[in-house]
Amino acid sequence: MEEPILRYEKIDFLGEGQFATVYKARDVKTDKIVAVKKIKIGSRLEAQDGINRTALREIKLLQELQHINLIGLLDVFGQKSNVSLVFDFMDTDLEIIVKDNSIVLTPANVKAYMIMTLRGLEYLHQNWILHRDLKPNNLLINREGILKIGDFGLAKAFGSPTRINTHQVVTRWYRSPELLFGARQYGTGVDMWAIGCILAELLLRVPFLPGESDLDQLSRIFQVFGTPSEETWPGMKGLTDYVQFKQFPPQQLRHIFSAAGDDLIQLMESLLALYPPNRCDCTQALQMTYFSNKPAPSVGSKLPMPSSICKVETEKPSLKRKLLENIDGGSLAKRLQF
Amino acid sequence: MDDQACPRCKTTKYRNPSLKLMVNVCGHALCESCVDLLFLKGSGSCPDCNVPLRRNNFRVQLFEDAMVEKEIDIRKRVLKDYNKKEEDFATLREYNDYLEEIETIVYNLTNNIDVVGTNKRIEQYKRDNKEIISKNKAKIGREEVELEEILEIEKQMEDLRRAEIIRMEQEAKKQKIREKEALIDELMFAEGDAKEILNTFAQSKANKPEVLPPVPKVTQFSTGIKFNRGSTQPTIPLIEEGPLYKYEPPIQPDRCGPDPPSIENIISGGYLKHVRAENETEKAGGYKSTLPCLRALQDALAGLYHAS
Repeated sequence: MEEPILRYEKIDFLGEGQFATVYKARDVKTDKIVAVKKIKIGSRLEAQDGINRTALREIKLLQELQHINLIGLLDVFGQKSNVSLVFDFMDTDLEIIVKDNSIVLTPANVKAYMIMTLRGLEYLHQNWILHRDLKPNNLLINREGILKIGDFGLAKAFGSPTRINTHQVVTRWYRSPELLFGARQYGTGVDMWAIGCILAELLLRVPFLPGESDLDQLSRIFQVFGTPSEETWPGMKGLTDYVQFKQFPPQQLRHIFSAAGDDLIQLMESLLALYPPNRCDCTQALQMTYFSNKPAPSVGSKLPMPSSICKVETEKPSLKRKLLENIDGGSLAKRLQF
Repeated sequence: MDDQACPRCKTTKYRNPSLKLMVNVCGHALCESCVDLLFLKGSGSCPDCNVPLRRNNFRVQLFEDAMVEKEIDIRKRVLKDYNKKEEDFATLREYNDYLEEIETIVYNLTNNIDVVGTNKRIEQYKRDNKEIISKNKAKIGREEVELEEILEIEKQMEDLRRAEIIRMEQEAKKQKIREKEALIDELMFAEGDAKEILNTFAQSKANKPEVLPPVPKVTQFSTGIKFNRGSTQPTIPLIEEGPLYKYEPPIQPDRCGPDPPSIENIISGGYLKHVRAENETEKAGGYKSTLPCLRALQDALAGLYHAS
């Protein structure tokens, strides 16, 4: 076997997480740019238990999954006591795009992002895997405008009649009400709720429900969707962490998302249904009229990119345009708008 | 006759032609010098009705009747919140009732009828209609922007026309000088009769067609909508027409076995009798017994056709 460490040439340091350090590297064999995630070994005590659980999940699940909208695990290699995972290299993620104020997200862009996310998730759910950590930060986008779901550190198989799951999953802002109430048996609804929150964030450009604590998160949810009752959510009181909440009246989503069309509101309402069995699944979501209606989703190359990334590629055309503008005097003094 | 007079110092327009009467929210007039005198400190009370006033709320009286001024002030304040439009009402009748209500409020406030009650009514209305008020405010803001835009365009056109006139005048002047010089040259060097030369010049001048000023480029339709509307606004990315999305189910991998039943078949086919039904709490968490049932069936059937 060839020495794998030689196969990947480190180019750049990309970031550091709780369990891993990520480098940008070049695959010498295929001359492709990849991301190498080097799992931290941690203390001797942790190392005794073997390899980190999140890394194990990623290796275990991603090795069997193949989809254009899921991050591809290209290689896994060990060196001494280290384990490194090699992934597709992704230029940016949805969080960066949402936060970049210079980017205008058109309805077509939003639709394209949602379609790619839902298709990846549909495949995942069909293979009995819950992602359990969907958030804009984990929706990675490359410069071709292809969105891939990443970070499978919390992903887990579902659909077992007996297994008890933990409810301490999903970043709080995207956590569904049943998880916040401590449900131990749940389904695809937890991911669908997160998708709804992401869609809302794409429209609002700020997090939709930024709770400061688990309780605050629930009260924010109920302030928008109204406090559920035993009629609207049967069995709610039996959930482990159920607490009685103040009665809030439900709000009209169309007042919060005043620019959204009826078809989009309809999608959002079925993604963010409080009662989990009422929530749609990916297939149902993709078949809703919002996706087949106009405007058509943007094609990948037309999707916006943060300026720091497209600079390299579009430097020439932009320079040319500037020159042209100067020649035909097209650069009329622009009026300032306040 | 001009019988405007300051109620405090009794100066009249006749005695002091530069007299300027100012009014404040209470509707009582004062002349400019009295305002300066009384409101040295920025605030004070009206000498007529003792209402506390601020100096910077004083403005020049436009109408002879101070009550009109007062009503304008009040109307302006009331309309800031009562900004619903006809579109906001289902029927014309409702809209008329609403307008009637505004008039009542304005009338009451102007004539000091039940001021406390009326103010309470305004407050109540503000609370009840917070959302619509702020929405309509934004809408009005947009209309104002558009109006400003039109004014700006008119100003630009005006500037352009003025520049054009100046240029033409200069051109005409230059032309005249040139003609004169040509005539003198002709007279100096030509062989012919001086009178004849003068005549031909006068004729050619008369024949010269009046040069029409170039028509300035039209930048808007007659309705006032600009041709290139987008250019002044921040650039809006073009909506690229791609193919519309059509749902396609993901390709199923080769299971190497018979197809498992669909969810509908599982429910109708009695499969659920053989798995533990979900209890109320599990259902409340989003768990369904169809899930493990389908999964177990998939697992059981996959690979059945496999032969080594």
